[in-house]
Amino acid sequence: MTATTGAPQSAQPERPGRSDGVCSEFTVFTKIKPGHADALREDLAAFAEAATDAKAREALRQIGTLHDARHVIFDNDTRFMFASVFDGSWDTYIDDFAKTVVGARFDKIFSHTEGFPGVADPGVKDWFVSQQEPAGVFVSSYPDLTVQQIWKDQRVDEAFEALLDTAEFRAALDNPANAELLATPAFQKLMEEAAA
Amino acid sequence: MNTTASSSAGDVRVEIDDVQSGALRPRPVPYEGKFILLRVDDRHAGRALLRRLLPVTSGGLPSVDRSQDAWVAVAFTYQGLRALGVPQESLDSFPRAFREGMAARAELIGDVGESAAAHWEAPFGTGDVHIALSALSSDTAQLDKELDRARVAYEDTPGVQVIWQQEVHQLPTGRTTFGFRDGISHPNIEGVGLPGSNPQEVPIKAGEFILGYPDETGSLPPMPSPDVLGRNGTYAAVRKIHTNVAAWRQYLRANTSSAQEEALLAAKMVGRWPSGAPLTLTPEHDDPELAADPHRVNNFLYREDDDRGFRCPAGAHIRRTNPRDATIIGDARMHRLIRRGTTYGPPLPEGVLEDDGAERGLVGVFIGAHLERQFEFIKAEWVNDGNFIGYPGEKDPVAGHHGGTGSVTIPEKPVRRRLRNLPSFVVTRGGEYCFVPGLRALRWLAELED
Repeated sequence: MTATTGAPQSAQPERPGRSDGVCSEFTVFTKIKPGHADALREDLAAFAEAATDAKAREALRQIGTLHDARHVIFDNDTRFMFASVFDGSWDTYIDDFAKTVVGARFDKIFSHTEGFPGVADPGVKDWFVSQQEPAGVFVSSYPDLTVQQIWKDQRVDEAFEALLDTAEFRAALDNPANAELLATPAFQKLMEEAAA
Repeated sequence: MNTTASSSAGDVRVEIDDVQSGALRPRPVPYEGKFILLRVDDRHAGRALLRRLLPVTSGGLPSVDRSQDAWVAVAFTYQGLRALGVPQESLDSFPRAFREGMAARAELIGDVGESAAAHWEAPFGTGDVHIALSALSSDTAQLDKELDRARVAYEDTPGVQVIWQQEVHQLPTGRTTFGFRDGISHPNIEGVGLPGSNPQEVPIKAGEFILGYPDETGSLPPMPSPDVLGRNGTYAAVRKIHTNVAAWRQYLRANTSSAQEEALLAAKMVGRWPSGAPLTLTPEHDDPELAADPHRVNNFLYREDDDRGFRCPAGAHIRRTNPRDATIIGDARMHRLIRRGTTYGPPLPEGVLEDDGAERGLVGVFIGAHLERQFEFIKAEWVNDGNFIGYPGEKDPVAGHHGGTGSVTIPEKPVRRRLRNLPSFVVTRGGEYCFVPGLRALRWLAELED
């Protein structure tokens, strides 16, 4: 863990928040406008529904830096938390986010909290920073992996497992013409994974 | 992990004579037994039954004289304790899983589809099962004598009805309906004076199996109140499991090309050969001589020689349900159970691949002081998922409910084998969570007033 960002530096100014390897945490605590808790809860419930959820997933796929996020109403319906983990810094892609369905969702959700200027407002990042509470500890089980790498690893694994199931691959392992390749440490490493 | 040093057994002395024999004693070999489920229609009658059963119920360790080795055990469901008029405050002090009962937890433990509680054999899951009696012996005459004594007790008690009975016995082969010797592994419990089956196992704290003693967390297990009711008691998950032996044989035949391959594939799914010899000690072929040696048959760990599962796959039945020191998520010592499987029904004759429609399988009793952390955890995390061993979504090849879509990875060089489209080989016919009180607690229940 490092105190500040250990992630690839972006053109954005340095932001508060902790990072571990390539990813950083970003948590904001806001005040819910009096009487808005139920409306906020309804908006969150609507976003959790399958149809809207599918749209959001599509947007997340496009943005590709968000590991996870949660929206929490707490403190007897008076406060709201948004907690998330991003590759790099949370605001690197915030402008891009704003152009997707995620932007509209943020606009809707934070409209129930005090002082929110709207995602399109030029001061929105500063507003978020003013609501942010950096974590005391932030730790990741995969500090070297960005969301993009995780997706790639998943694709490689699926392709590899499918290849292992082909008779042609088994035949290629038995083919003396491939002996040199099979003997390389790099290939042996791959075969370690193939065996179990 | 098993490498953790444990404090000496000196500071814990289990009141073993107050613990029902049916809780801790390993199943005899050979064995004969019977399960009897009763409904209590009147609490006074229920208590009268318990008073008559008290002299029949045995505690403590096996008798030196094997001809005297028979025991009757008495256990209660939550509904049963209610029917006996146990005070509400005491009922409320039992853990949630027990209060809800196994049927309410069926989905959580993987009893879905054909095994769903809606399809269970009556009276399982109906709320009518109040008292479970079990009798087990290595000797038929001795068993009959004990059963006669128990029968006198319940037949002379109007207001208590026998609603289900099941005889169990060892098959002539000495093996399960699937053709494998079982009943080999028994945990090494601290302070009990009963040797565990694996000499390499660091003793497990008594509180993992008996209420009233410290468990592996260093604390006392949550215990129902009053103290006299909880102390020296434990919980038993009792399940009747039908085995699809024909489906098992057909699957093996369809996925192999020789009798030798077939035997190896079956062993890879179970983790032992038919004789009971473990793959970890004899990976290439069965070894009946090793299996017959009580000092060797269960004397193994996984990490040093077989962590990646090239001998015994990480997903094999015996390795999932008792991972010993293997690399897994979590701590295996927190999830130990006493398992006592007993067979019912006729064997499917050797070589037969078509189902004969006969009911056969096992009545399994799974004992421990923590239903949720032991039985339910093992079912949900170890039997019906494979994330803990790095194979997310894969289930126990033998005991998992696959529904035709299961997959199983068998480590093999150069390329692992992956079985697909596994059907279920077992179907849950029903089950109940039971509380197995100590003998003093049994007397307390018998002497309840009002």
